[in-house]
Amino acid sequence: MRISFQEHRDLRPNRSLVCSPIGSAKRMLHGFQLNWRLWLMVLGLISIVGCTESLPDYTLRFGLANSPTNLDPRYATDATSARLNRLLYSRLVDFGEGTIPIPALATWRELSPIHYRFDLQEPRPLFHNGARLSANDVKATYASILNPATASPHRGILQIITRIDTPTENTVDFFLKQPDSLFPGYLVIGILPANLIAKGHPFHDHPIGSGPFQFLERPDDTRLVIERRADGQRIEFVRIPDPTVRTLKLLANEIHLLQNDLPPELVTYLSTHKGITLQQRQGANFAYLGFNQLDPVVGQELVRKAIAHAIDREHIIQFVLRGRARVAQTLFPPEHWAGHASLSGYAYDPEEAKRLLKEAGYDHDHRPTITYKTSTDPFRLRLATIIQYQLDQVGIDVSIQSHDWGTFYGDIKSGRFQMYSLAWVGVKSPDIFRYAFHSDAIPPVGANRGHFADVVADRLMIQAEQTLNRQEQQALYRTLQARLLDTLPYVPLWFEDHYALASTTITGYQLSADGNFDGLSQVRWMGPPSVPPTHLARLYP
Amino acid sequence: MRLWLPFSIIAAWAFLAIFNFMFSLTPDAIDLTNILSPPSPEHWLGHDELGRPVADRLISGAHTSFFVSLCVVALGVSLGSLLGVSSAYLSGWVDAGFVRIVDIMLAFPGLLLAIALAGALGPGIGNVILALGIVGWVGYARLARGQVLALKHADHVLAAQAIGAPPWRIILRHLLPLIMAPLIVEASFGVAGAIIAEAGLSFLGLGVQPPAASWGSMIRDGTRYMLVAPHLVVFPGLTLMAVVLAANMLGDWLRDRLDVKEQTSRGGS
Repeated sequence: MRISFQEHRDLRPNRSLVCSPIGSAKRMLHGFQLNWRLWLMVLGLISIVGCTESLPDYTLRFGLANSPTNLDPRYATDATSARLNRLLYSRLVDFGEGTIPIPALATWRELSPIHYRFDLQEPRPLFHNGARLSANDVKATYASILNPATASPHRGILQIITRIDTPTENTVDFFLKQPDSLFPGYLVIGILPANLIAKGHPFHDHPIGSGPFQFLERPDDTRLVIERRADGQRIEFVRIPDPTVRTLKLLANEIHLLQNDLPPELVTYLSTHKGITLQQRQGANFAYLGFNQLDPVVGQELVRKAIAHAIDREHIIQFVLRGRARVAQTLFPPEHWAGHASLSGYAYDPEEAKRLLKEAGYDHDHRPTITYKTSTDPFRLRLATIIQYQLDQVGIDVSIQSHDWGTFYGDIKSGRFQMYSLAWVGVKSPDIFRYAFHSDAIPPVGANRGHFADVVADRLMIQAEQTLNRQEQQALYRTLQARLLDTLPYVPLWFEDHYALASTTITGYQLSADGNFDGLSQVRWMGPPSVPPTHLARLYP
Repeated sequence: MRLWLPFSIIAAWAFLAIFNFMFSLTPDAIDLTNILSPPSPEHWLGHDELGRPVADRLISGAHTSFFVSLCVVALGVSLGSLLGVSSAYLSGWVDAGFVRIVDIMLAFPGLLLAIALAGALGPGIGNVILALGIVGWVGYARLARGQVLALKHADHVLAAQAIGAPPWRIILRHLLPLIMAPLIVEASFGVAGAIIAEAGLSFLGLGVQPPAASWGSMIRDGTRYMLVAPHLVVFPGLTLMAVVLAANMLGDWLRDRLDVKEQTSRGGS
């Protein structure tokens, strides 16, 4: 018996998730006489049906160099976790143009220098479990951070809070120990549901917030899947530590988006490919060289100044970072409201560096020896090798010690270093000066890891924080930054730019000023997908 | 057999390794303006990710590989043959114990054991030599023991024993010279193995430390720029391959020349 073409088509199953070619074949063979020609045709059909019935995958994949370490905003301190938590949770306050605090979930009023009232705005997003976000949740979140038993790393700065009241369901009052005009800028931690905090819900494992994305699954350490609440679009974050592999996966369209953490050469290489678009904008992550002030060599201001003059930052930016950075003079970029645009720093001047070293008592036969600690990240090691070479040229012997991130950061935090390089990432509020440079902020209280102590700087920090007038505060912070540049607890290096590389199959991703992932709220596929993401969301288990 | 090519490769390697001070090399000179520049008429092999000349670093790496392989083989041969010969000569429980130790050592994959040792000792060229030497002596010891077992009942040894020669004299004068040929053949292959092992350890970051150059570390650093500057991997890779291949070919030739059995059988056929 012959099988007509029409019958073939009728036997094709409708689009479904599970292809069942064998079942189709059995139905097809029912009542037909078997012979070898028929078998051949059946096999042909199976292959055609089997090949065409795979479901298009609309999950957008984002390549990351590091996995987020903690999805509980009370504990997260690393940049990746902070950026992901912004997607999963909403916060009271955010930062706008000039890094000035702006309302997010709530607007605020300063009822007195030690009393701030926050009014939750309407409409506001529901928690992912459907509950309504209220003042109680805000109070519970901050109370939990302030509870010493929680051991939150964010507790330090928030200890200024003495009491939190919730006069109404939409109002939260914060009472402070002392006036601090920077206070609203401290309330940037994601809000968690009060009832789940009380139950001890494992937010790090199963985050529930009120952000624009909700957590779906984390099958293993290398993958995290979240879903956009607006339309069900899934985003999968994939950890690919090796930059070359990340590059190749982007070229093969296995991932669709990646941001930062690539050697500059690979960024240039990818940007020349037709299927890839590059977005770039100035960043504010401050790279610096830190020193142990208790050390007999780098504890000398003259030696630190010699180091500052010996490093050719302009050339490093031009040739190594391929222009994707700008020279830094202080911790904040000029566009920050507390920044200092007119500071002139230490120009590259090897002769001046040699002169300063001589003044410090060193010469050709008696060279200072410095141990330089850095991480094992190949690019950081490459920069360290360049700095080592440039310091050698002016008469400073440098030995590089590279350690894995945990060991390196542990050494820095506990003050076991002579010189190190690191960057401040995502710093927005000028209270960082007190945290990093005040003589009382020696770890574990603060991050003055080099034991820097300067009476003038201490006084300026405290004065600035207690000044309520923004202009006066700005002037004090500028004087402080000039003072820090003069005394050099850090040798400022540069602010690295942010960049995002995206496949041309997606569009709408806007790179943010601080390198967060908020642009994922707007990202979409180029051209409408034949199966809308909301439909996909229903299809997936 | 056409040996001019392997001979010249090994000769060039040894020459560059020993006399590299005669060239004004700047393997560690960083030139930011030349970062990842490709090969050009002025710089035949281009520059690396820090703007250092790849050619100068290859020569500097030749010194590292030559020095390491020679030290490793010397350590392996001296330690291995001394232990192997003594064990076979002394026989009894000493020999039995020695064979067990050798069997245990052979049960470990050589390079893995070297990685573990280099990891435990810490990175650095001295520790690499020590780690590879500790792993490498076993082959020589087994070979020396086997040869001595066959030779120790030979007439001249029995004669030496009969006139009261001390064991050390018999070993040094009457046994070692006779087992040198197979040991030399084994050592020639050992050189190739040591070059590869040193490159492997340096590739893993356990070998020479920056900024010193090694072919293994050059390949490792180059892999990160494979897409934009393949010359960083290709040149050290080809050099490593050429030297190892040449060392193996010379080893083969040496075996053909020095293997008495093979010569006899060839002569008889």
